[in-house]
Amino acid sequence: MDFPTFSIDTSLLEEATEPDPEFTYDLLIVGGGPAAMSAAVYAARKMLRCAMVTRDFGGQIRETSEVENWLGFQNINAKDLADSFEEHVKSFDIPIKLGTAITAITKQGGIFTVTTDDGTSYHSQTLILSTGKHHRPLNVPGEKELVGKGLAYCATCDAPFFKKKKVVVAGGGNSAFTTVLDLLKVEASVTLINAIKGWQADTSLQERVKQKGAVTLLDNHEIIRVEGSDQVTGVVVKNRDSHKEDKLQADGIFIEIGLLPNSDPVKDLVELNEHGEVVVDCLSQTSVEGLYGAGDVTTVPHKQIVIAAGEGAKAALSAYDYLMRKSLI
Amino acid sequence: MALLKDKDKTKVTNTLKGITKPVTIVMFTQEIECQHCEMTRTLLEEVSNLSDRITLEVHDFVADKELAKKYGVDKIPATVLIGEKDYGIRFFGVPAGYEFNVLVQDIRDVGKRDPNLSDKVLTELAKIDQPVHLQTIISPT
Repeated sequence: MDFPTFSIDTSLLEEATEPDPEFTYDLLIVGGGPAAMSAAVYAARKMLRCAMVTRDFGGQIRETSEVENWLGFQNINAKDLADSFEEHVKSFDIPIKLGTAITAITKQGGIFTVTTDDGTSYHSQTLILSTGKHHRPLNVPGEKELVGKGLAYCATCDAPFFKKKKVVVAGGGNSAFTTVLDLLKVEASVTLINAIKGWQADTSLQERVKQKGAVTLLDNHEIIRVEGSDQVTGVVVKNRDSHKEDKLQADGIFIEIGLLPNSDPVKDLVELNEHGEVVVDCLSQTSVEGLYGAGDVTTVPHKQIVIAAGEGAKAALSAYDYLMRKSLI
Repeated sequence: MALLKDKDKTKVTNTLKGITKPVTIVMFTQEIECQHCEMTRTLLEEVSNLSDRITLEVHDFVADKELAKKYGVDKIPATVLIGEKDYGIRFFGVPAGYEFNVLVQDIRDVGKRDPNLSDKVLTELAKIDQPVHLQTIISPT
């Protein structure tokens, strides 16, 4: 029956803000990429008392410019897609701790505790780890000191700063070749340096770069140092066969040598594979009861937005099933 | 049609998330419901579905007159909030409008077994040594 005269006031009730450190949530979702956001939507629709802890929203989508394989959109601006995901999550008033890194995740007495770098701890009965990956560093002298001073890991974000400049790209895979194409769009003079013999990028991508002609390809060379004090001025490379060292002048360097899983906070808690990825089964269950993994941080192959989103949904439903089965909700 | 919109539900859920102990809502209506009885019952059903620690009991004011008498219910719709004991909390009429805030906050306080009052107020209340009947009469504005 409809009640046309009915109205309520909820002005004194609590808006979702930050998670409550005193409360034990049904589910904590750690991370803010597509896996985490999808998990949050599914958890909210199951009316789980859930909260999110993340440094930011969007994950690696924020590092690309366009997405052409999200079903329903032949081409969509990556920022718009990430924004729409975030808006969807926030429509549920899920408490969100934003802007902090995770320092530890532990489990004691059936309760998970997530500690952030500001010293706050949050608690839950189940947890979804969806922390994604980060760029693998070169680990050479000068790298840490020159981040943001000509040394970058994200061409989508930073390529426009190198218009008509000399730039080195480290790497030999798809992301390195894509970075070269991004830099050529801003008329940069590019040297691509691969540490091993043989390029790993898709042949079609290699052909697109080679057709441009304005790229120097340096195979089998190791970058041993990034030079510069306030700004990158060059890199020193070593031929891996002859061991001959050369100095290349450069205004900038992009490092595109792969990604590492953000699994450090759980490295002493769950089983990881040899690459540091969290081992999950087909129900997103890790080696620890009640702890689920989703997205790029896990062993699930093919790191794609649509796969991460699907895995996030699956992890949330698995967590819900677990809570029901154990009569925890 | 649901009385609570999604936005209302999330705010109620957030407010009730601090509940740690069971809460029983005892509601009195009657077989042939007046519009306000039906409205109240529907609202309480929706609210009780938002926390697994809330149980809703719906009783017939006429058929269960002994129970109504026990709770001091002499008119309907009536809503009684019970925790580990009866704290004497009653809502008569539809807890709609601004009073909906009060209903949800009272459910939360009963569920936390915490009246949300300062020590000073509790000390003063402890000095009351004879029965006191408080009745707040409100009207929609």
